[in-house]
Amino acid sequence: MKKLLIALAAAAALAGCGDKDDGTRKFVVGFDADFPPYGYKDGSEYKGFDLDLARAVCAKKGWTFVANPINWDAKDMELNSGAIDCIWNGFTMQGRENAYTFSAPYVDNSQVVLVKVDSPVVRLTDLAGRTVGVQIDTPVQKALSAGGDRAALGATFKGLVVEPNYNQLVNELVMDAVEAVALDVGVARRKMADLPGKFRILDEIIMKETYGIGFKKGNTALCAEVEAALREVVADGTMAALAETYGIEKDALILK
Amino acid sequence: MSFSGMIVDLLSGLAVSVEIFFFTLLIALPLGFPIALGRMSRHPLVSGVFRLYISVVRGTPLMLQIIFVYFAPYIFFKMPLSRYPRLLATVLAFGFNYAAYFAEIYRGGMLSIDVGQREAALSLGLDRFQTFFRIILPQTVKRVIPAVGNEVITLVKDTSLAFTIAVTEMFTIAKQLSSAHTSMTPLIAAGVFYYVFNYLVAFAMERLERRFAYYN
Repeated sequence: MKKLLIALAAAAALAGCGDKDDGTRKFVVGFDADFPPYGYKDGSEYKGFDLDLARAVCAKKGWTFVANPINWDAKDMELNSGAIDCIWNGFTMQGRENAYTFSAPYVDNSQVVLVKVDSPVVRLTDLAGRTVGVQIDTPVQKALSAGGDRAALGATFKGLVVEPNYNQLVNELVMDAVEAVALDVGVARRKMADLPGKFRILDEIIMKETYGIGFKKGNTALCAEVEAALREVVADGTMAALAETYGIEKDALILK
Repeated sequence: MSFSGMIVDLLSGLAVSVEIFFFTLLIALPLGFPIALGRMSRHPLVSGVFRLYISVVRGTPLMLQIIFVYFAPYIFFKMPLSRYPRLLATVLAFGFNYAAYFAEIYRGGMLSIDVGQREAALSLGLDRFQTFFRIILPQTVKRVIPAVGNEVITLVKDTSLAFTIAVTEMFTIAKQLSSAHTSMTPLIAAGVFYYVFNYLVAFAMERLERRFAYYN
C-alpha cells in the first residue's frame, strides 16, 4: 500500500511539472512532423515553412510559440479538446470547410503524382491498373476514393494503398511496393531534392487546393487575431523570404 | 544529418521512453497485487469487479486505452486539456494496463503454491495473514519473476505507443529524423537502442532471479 501511495505521489508530481506559467500566452501549434518542408525536425528543434510562419506570428503578438508534433489521426480530438490551438501544417481546406474555422488561404497547392524516373507512367491515364499510394486522412485520399471528386480516376487504379505518413509513402515508392504516389507538390519537390535523380512529377495534376490555418470550429476570435498577424508577416516580406528558404514557389503565395 | 546529432536526438527521446517505463512500473508492479487479491476474493461481487477490470483492460488495445485516458476529461466533462500533461495520461494508461497483466501473473504464482503448505501452516498455529505473508507470498515472488520479466521487456517496446497522444518518445523521434532526412539510419539506430535497453533489463531480471534462488 505504501508503495502504491509513493507511486501515486510520483504521478501527481509528474502532473505538476507540466505547466510552467511565466505570464505570457502560449500558442500551441499542432502539426505532423513527417511533413517536410512545412514542419519537420531539424536538430533539436522543429522548423519548416509553416512553423516558421507561426513563429513569426507569435513574435508579432508577443506569444510564446509551442510546436507540438501530433499524431495526424488524432488531430480533431487534439484541436477540439484544446490540447492544441490550431493545425498549421500545409493543411488543405478543400473538403474540410465545415469541420474547422479556417483562416484565409495563404498557399496555393496542387496534388501531384510522383513516380520513379524510369517509370512508364507519363499521364494520369497511364496509372490505370497500377498501385498508387496516398497518406491517410488527406484530401487526395478522399478525392480518389469512392464518392470523391476524382473517384473516376481512382477507380482505374489496381489499388489505393493508404500509408501512415509521407516518409513511408515515398519509401514504398523507392522500394517498388507502389508504382506511384499522390501527394502535395511541396513535399514531392522536397523529396526530389533529398533523393536527386530518383523521381519525376507528372505534368498533369490530380487537383488544385489551398492551405489555410485550421482552428476549432467556432473559434473565430483566435482565427481573426492570427490572420491579422499573418497579413503583417506577409506585408513585411517575411513570408516571401521563408518561401525562398523552403523552396516554395513565389506565385503559390496567395495571401495579400 | 550528422551522426552524433542524430544520436543526441535519439537519446533525448530515449529519456522520455525511460520515464514512461520507470513510472509505469512504479504504478503497475504494486497495483497488480491488490488487483490479484481482489480477483481471488471469495466474495462474488468483489471478484466480479476485478474480473471485469482485467477482462476489459486485456480485451482492448493499449492504444485505445491511451486515447481514452487522455481525452476522457474532455469527452465526458468538456474540460479543456491544455493543463493535462500528456506524459501523465500516458503513464496512467500504461500503469492501469500493465497492472492487469501483472495481477494475472501474481495470481498464477499464488495458485501454484501447493495447498498442503497452507494447511500445514494453519495447523502449526499461524493465522491466515501470517500464512499468506510468511509462507505463500515469498514463494510467489520467486516464481513470478520470469513472467514479470517478459512483461517488462514488452513494456520497453510498447513505450512507442505513447505517440498516439503526441508524446515524442524515441521511436517518434526516429521516425521524424527519418522523414526529415529521407534516411533509414535513425530507425536502425533506434532499434539498436531498444535492444541495448532490453539487454540491460533482461540482465537485471536474471540477477534478481539469482538473488531469490536461495534454496538452490
